[in-house]
Amino acid sequence: MIQEQMIEDIVRQVLQDVTAQKGTEKGKNQAEEVKMVEIQDTPAPKSNKNNLDYKKDYPLASQRPELVQTPTGKTLKDIKLESVLNDKLKAEDLRISESTLELQAQIAESVGRQQLANNLRRASELIAIPDDRILEIYNAMRPYRSTKEELLDIADELEQKYSAQINANFIREAAEVYERRNRLRTD
Amino acid sequence: MKRSKRFEVLDERPVNQDGFIQEWPEVGLIAMENPNDPKPSIQIKDGKVCELDGKKREDFDMIDQFIADYYIDPTVAEEAMAISDQAAAKMLCDVNCPRETIVRLVKGFTPAKVVAIFNQMNVVEMMMALQKMRARKTPSNQCHITNVADNPVLIAADGAEAAFRGFDEMETTVGVVRYAPFNALALQVGGQVGRGGVLIQCALEEATELLLGMRGITAYAETISVYGTEQVFTDGDDTPWSKAFLASAYASRGLKMRFTSGTGSEVQMGYAEGKSMLYLEIRCIMLTKGAGVQGLQNGSISCIGVPAAVPSGIRAVLAENLFTTMADLEVASGNDQTFSHSPIRRCARTMMQFLPGTDFIFSGYSGVPNYDNMFAGSNFDVDDYDDYLVLQRDLMVDGGLRPVTEEEVIAIRNKAARALQAVFKELGFPEITEEEVEAATYAHGSKDMPHRNVVEDLKAAQDMLKRGITGVDVVRALAKNGFTDVAENVLGMLRQRVSGDYLHTSSIVDKDFNVISAVNDRNDYQGPGTGYRLNKERWDEIKNIGSALSPDYFDRGKGC
Repeated sequence: MIQEQMIEDIVRQVLQDVTAQKGTEKGKNQAEEVKMVEIQDTPAPKSNKNNLDYKKDYPLASQRPELVQTPTGKTLKDIKLESVLNDKLKAEDLRISESTLELQAQIAESVGRQQLANNLRRASELIAIPDDRILEIYNAMRPYRSTKEELLDIADELEQKYSAQINANFIREAAEVYERRNRLRTD
Repeated sequence: MKRSKRFEVLDERPVNQDGFIQEWPEVGLIAMENPNDPKPSIQIKDGKVCELDGKKREDFDMIDQFIADYYIDPTVAEEAMAISDQAAAKMLCDVNCPRETIVRLVKGFTPAKVVAIFNQMNVVEMMMALQKMRARKTPSNQCHITNVADNPVLIAADGAEAAFRGFDEMETTVGVVRYAPFNALALQVGGQVGRGGVLIQCALEEATELLLGMRGITAYAETISVYGTEQVFTDGDDTPWSKAFLASAYASRGLKMRFTSGTGSEVQMGYAEGKSMLYLEIRCIMLTKGAGVQGLQNGSISCIGVPAAVPSGIRAVLAENLFTTMADLEVASGNDQTFSHSPIRRCARTMMQFLPGTDFIFSGYSGVPNYDNMFAGSNFDVDDYDDYLVLQRDLMVDGGLRPVTEEEVIAIRNKAARALQAVFKELGFPEITEEEVEAATYAHGSKDMPHRNVVEDLKAAQDMLKRGITGVDVVRALAKNGFTDVAENVLGMLRQRVSGDYLHTSSIVDKDFNVISAVNDRNDYQGPGTGYRLNKERWDEIKNIGSALSPDYFDRGKGC
């Protein structure tokens, strides 16, 4: 609510930054001289006439429940209160599986949402990676956190240990971009 | 100068306590139509974007590159960019031009092209377009549930009431960060008492927010901020690549998520590169789409004071919501921060989204008194509930809420407080007393609540994380203590993450746990008689506000 104060602060901040930026302009231009690297496209999904169609197959829970299984092999029918109470159902049984995400990616494609489908496919590769490691990788991808080598090592790990090919390439691409734009950690 | 009495009265009006500023294009203090904005252009070579809005590929910053490679569809870009700004603007508000036609062309627009199109449109035309372009046919609403004391009993009761009143999504956050696990838990339990299937989130630092989702305490996430200039993005401690990875991480755990952005954030953080607020926001929306995220919270959000201070700022805020829907994304359309002292101005600002309807008209309406709202207040709050219901009734508009009775609300709040009391007891957390249950049942806000032992609560909240308490433990605790229906509802939410149906655009979950999204409830608006219309049942519900007198009242001679 204290808007006048806020606007004053913004104006002051802007003035400060304008002055500060003039000093660093030269360094910035040098950084941009790093050569632009060509990016590999994410492989296009193979078209398959057996792919799901949003008009008849969605929502999976009601239209195609037989296709849905957790990574531990439970079906939607197995998820019931009784099983929680007699310890037959645990937290790890309530996770989405690779194949379910692939099916949802097909639904997204059939409704014209290619980027969402790509995201769901990247996600399906990450299911096998433990929560803590996911959080570490995310933090390593933040600006100035990693050297190029460290990012490339993560990419290799994703590829070799988890067969996460799309994510590995995505992180390699990030490493190139961060180098070109000076967002890597410099020790 | 001798003062005019009329001017003296005007000076005292609430609107004159608001801050206003003249445009300053050079630093980006301008909503739209900045002469310094780039001119629209695109060049495609070998299926790759090699020039975007006058910038060559070798000069691309991170955001340009991400938009060029992940947003722009090179197969339609040249066709789309050849359409004149005015022709494109006319298509947007022409009821005969279907949504799908526009969604296809939008994949080929550059940020500057979009701004040029919006520069042609007034707010009524933008509202016409928003009505058509919203992804989900049925409009909906989201609320904030917080309090200054982070009192979990009150969060449960407020969450239950808000879910019961009709909100489909509820967001909490914290005063003290270490309270987060309790706030999330309280809202999950309270929400599922109010109405099975309501979706809840807890706004926190990115990594912590993800952790609570992974544990099954929250159902979705929203506070994943993106910005329109590289410097501000970096200051926000992320890159388009880290944010896109985070998006996939959420989906890999079966969790719904959306990004957040808004006009004014770049100038507020000091690096707007001399561009208009809307131009920078369009870049945010495009990179959100490119990251494969299903939706976006925008409408300036926490920076609303900035666009609101400049001419045509509220129009730009509507334009950013509109473009989000054109990009075929879910929009949670702001209206979530106190931005003006003037009730007239506050209401007018909300009409831009309320009248056409959006996926979530507010991203959050304050489901608590304004003093308890830890998101710096909202544009509407609990004290405005009856005004809001009357607006729905006056204008025959579905704003997502329904009239309720005092008896019902007291009962549902009491049940939520008791359910949380049971969960706390079962999990060995500090006791929730009968006195607290009673206070939360009848409270207006945290001023009506007894104080809790904060040190003990914080210890237990951290313990909850250390012990790895999950949604399954919550289900068990509820069921063991006789709250079988609530246990079933919490389990129903956990089941959502197995099927993944609610990962799709604009998903909400109804009381029978069916997902309603822009896949099975696609907006098919094409003019009068099409698109979303109130059915009889819903209209009867909206009509029957408690204070409306029935004709019987007069027949019985009680009237005048």
